[in-house]
Amino acid sequence: MSNDMQNDPLSRLKSAPVPPASPSARERALAASLVAFDAAQNADAKKTLSPAQGSGWLNRLKSMINPKEGIWTMDMRIPLGTAAVALLLLPLGYQLYSSTAITPVSTGTNELTVVTENQPVPPVDAAKSEAVVDEKDTEIQMLQPRFDPNLIDGVEKPDGAAGTMVMAEESAPVEAQSMALAVGTVDQPAIVNGDMEPMAPMTMAAPQTQARTMVGSGEGGMIIAPDAGGMIVTPDPSGDEFTEFVESPLKVVKEEPVSTFSIDVDTASYSYVRRSLVDGYLPDADAVRIEEMINYFSYDYQAPDSAETPFSQNVTVFPTPWNPKTQIIQIGIKGYVPPAAERKPANLVFLIDTSGSMDEPDKLPLLKRSFGLLVDTLSANDTVSIVAYAGSAGTVLNPTKAKDKAQILAALDNLAAGGSTAGAEGITLAYQLAEQNKVADGVNRVILATDGDFNVGIDDPEDLVDFIKTKRDGGVFLSVLGFGRGNLDDATMQALAQNGNGNAAYIDTFREAQKVLVEQGGANLQTIAKDVKIQVEFNPAFVSEYRLIGYETRALNREDFNNDKVDAGEIGAGHTVTALYEITPVGSGAELVDPLRYGSDTAADGTVAPVGGELAFLKLRYKAPEGDVSKLIEMPIAADSALADIARASDDARWATAVAAFSQKLKGSNYGGTMTWDQIRDLAQGARGSDESGYRAEFIQLINSAASISPDQAFDPAGAALPE
Amino acid sequence: MPQAFVDESGVAPESLVLLAQRGDRAAFAELIGQHYDLIYRTAYKWSGNRSDAEDIAQDVCVKLGSVLGSFDNRSAFSSWLYRITLNAVRDMQRARTRRGRHVDALAQVSPEDYPPDQEDATAARELWAAVRALPEKQRDAVLLIYVEDLNHAAAADIMGCKETTVSWHIHEAKKTLRGLL
Repeated sequence: MSNDMQNDPLSRLKSAPVPPASPSARERALAASLVAFDAAQNADAKKTLSPAQGSGWLNRLKSMINPKEGIWTMDMRIPLGTAAVALLLLPLGYQLYSSTAITPVSTGTNELTVVTENQPVPPVDAAKSEAVVDEKDTEIQMLQPRFDPNLIDGVEKPDGAAGTMVMAEESAPVEAQSMALAVGTVDQPAIVNGDMEPMAPMTMAAPQTQARTMVGSGEGGMIIAPDAGGMIVTPDPSGDEFTEFVESPLKVVKEEPVSTFSIDVDTASYSYVRRSLVDGYLPDADAVRIEEMINYFSYDYQAPDSAETPFSQNVTVFPTPWNPKTQIIQIGIKGYVPPAAERKPANLVFLIDTSGSMDEPDKLPLLKRSFGLLVDTLSANDTVSIVAYAGSAGTVLNPTKAKDKAQILAALDNLAAGGSTAGAEGITLAYQLAEQNKVADGVNRVILATDGDFNVGIDDPEDLVDFIKTKRDGGVFLSVLGFGRGNLDDATMQALAQNGNGNAAYIDTFREAQKVLVEQGGANLQTIAKDVKIQVEFNPAFVSEYRLIGYETRALNREDFNNDKVDAGEIGAGHTVTALYEITPVGSGAELVDPLRYGSDTAADGTVAPVGGELAFLKLRYKAPEGDVSKLIEMPIAADSALADIARASDDARWATAVAAFSQKLKGSNYGGTMTWDQIRDLAQGARGSDESGYRAEFIQLINSAASISPDQAFDPAGAALPE
Repeated sequence: MPQAFVDESGVAPESLVLLAQRGDRAAFAELIGQHYDLIYRTAYKWSGNRSDAEDIAQDVCVKLGSVLGSFDNRSAFSSWLYRITLNAVRDMQRARTRRGRHVDALAQVSPEDYPPDQEDATAARELWAAVRALPEKQRDAVLLIYVEDLNHAAAADIMGCKETTVSWHIHEAKKTLRGLL
């Protein structure tokens, strides 16, 4: 060819000049590519399979069709080996799947995988497998050209985050395609055989992959995709991520008399649930954290008188609305509210996500207005700095006194999403500013606002948490505000805020911003006690079983209570925290756990001398905001304090119970699911109280929304189970 | 002209690709930085217009952000990159045709270019215009073989066809361009 080039007139083409690209275009392109890269990485982290189904189409078109083409010959081997194994394992996998105790519904795909790999492999019935293949020949051939052997490799690649649901979804097409390959071998024996010799070693490579891809296959045999769909858990419509947790189970007092947990003043879960319901679908069960639902509302508990005892505790015992034989212990705590004169100076650093994804009306614009509200509440001596990350990076506003409000607001206003520079050092910069301006004996806090991009400069989540912990011990705390939906990483939000001695809130509306930043702004900024832990010991003479409602993600070990090293929740000025226990009194007949046949009473008799008249014993531990040593508050709960009728309990107690009932029903709890939406609404209506801010009225609307999205079944016998 | 997409900085692009595929942001940035010029140059040669070339190059960069994970080392990274760039050129030109501005695009064969300092540059320009007006496949084949100086096998890989098909496209192109050659 180079010979003809000499004379070929077309070779003149080479001489044309190319003007250089303008530097700005180059910059733009590089920045845009990084944004796309980040988006893809985020999406990848959420998926378990790496290559997307449609991405390799250029390759896919050719792999099986044209084996003569030189460079593809080598690559034929792996798909062919895999194909052969697929042929062997297809009926086998199906048989394993249908004949072993793998339950298809509600079991994560991950678990399925593990189980199967451990199965012994019975011999294969070759005739059977061929029969199956022939039958479905036609459908499968249609799939064949689209097969990309890399997809199989993709299954094996361990990928960081484990999004079970996504993985289940993605595996369906993969299966379909591996099958297609299997058939391909049968169809083209003539072409294939020449290259088939090295089959044996390939068989070694492939079985694991195949076992994995086959298992999910469902009852449909060869045509898998629709059936596999049946075993996928509800698809998450949003892409937001939540920590999975198991509802706290019923405990038997004789076995585990002590229950320990950390308080939680976060409210993010409620805002998220509200948004889901308003948008017309039920939230993911893991998004419903009952304690956050309950603590969203403020309760009118008696406040402590002085800063000496930073909070008061209130306990009520009353019958459970969803089970007449059990009782609820409601524990309410209210934080001290310092008078305005005692307010500590604040040094706040706003760390704001300006990545491209923030460019939506309910993200950056809402964020700007929200922070504007917060700035309005600050007093003249408070300091504000603003740092942006992800999009346009760097210090947006150097530390500025809050009296220069105009300057702060102007800086906020200038923030734009999707700037050009890669902003990596966001978080270190924010902490640097906070430390430079640290006010001794004041509030030093970084407030991180994001829609879920935590590429603040420290990539490894564990390093990030460690970094925040270290800074927390140095006196700079962190709060996290979540915005928008679709990308929200609730689990990370919670983890960061909890380790930063701060709270995580989800801001979906301007009204919510007002609540979080203005009405509760003081509480969220002014920590009055930290590492607040609650421990309740039940008296087996009165209580046979108990269950803590919510607080699953906040449970502590019994020994952690007295260990001051163990971190726990913070309580801010005026915060209220409510915890509910459902208890089964001894002899009520409502016990879910049968008594032991042998020697059940020895433990109780041997050690516990029932203290007269005490139902349970409540202990609280807390540290002063700057203290390292915890203080203890103790309080017995008298058995005769139990109210005979829920109607006698305070509005707050009934309200909290209604919210708990609603949340349990919403997340499909194993407990308390017998109430109908109507009954919950009635309970809530009666407990609304004055509701000046209207949040309780809004909650009642949410009950209506939930009832219309997921109506009670007509035959629901709930009425029978409930006291009228 | 040296073969495009040969790495000029000395760092193996293959390892950068691997790092970037594993989520290394810095490696990805470097990879794009290294290849931007080459993407742009290709886009320019194909489109003959600087602003189009810049737009195409940006599209390709953005696309790489999301599809890099699907690059499988089966072909050379450069071939893969050519394929993506050529697709982007084609997409853009098709979109433009739909909007009925194709004619303008062709007429504006880089008016902002360097002045014709040599006589054969003028002739070359006419030839370029004609080549760019060829049917897509023929144009791709001609540019890959004659401008990018690739061999038929590499061009076939990029275009996703057989070597003989590439030769056939070249042959057809020569027939079409007969008057100009």
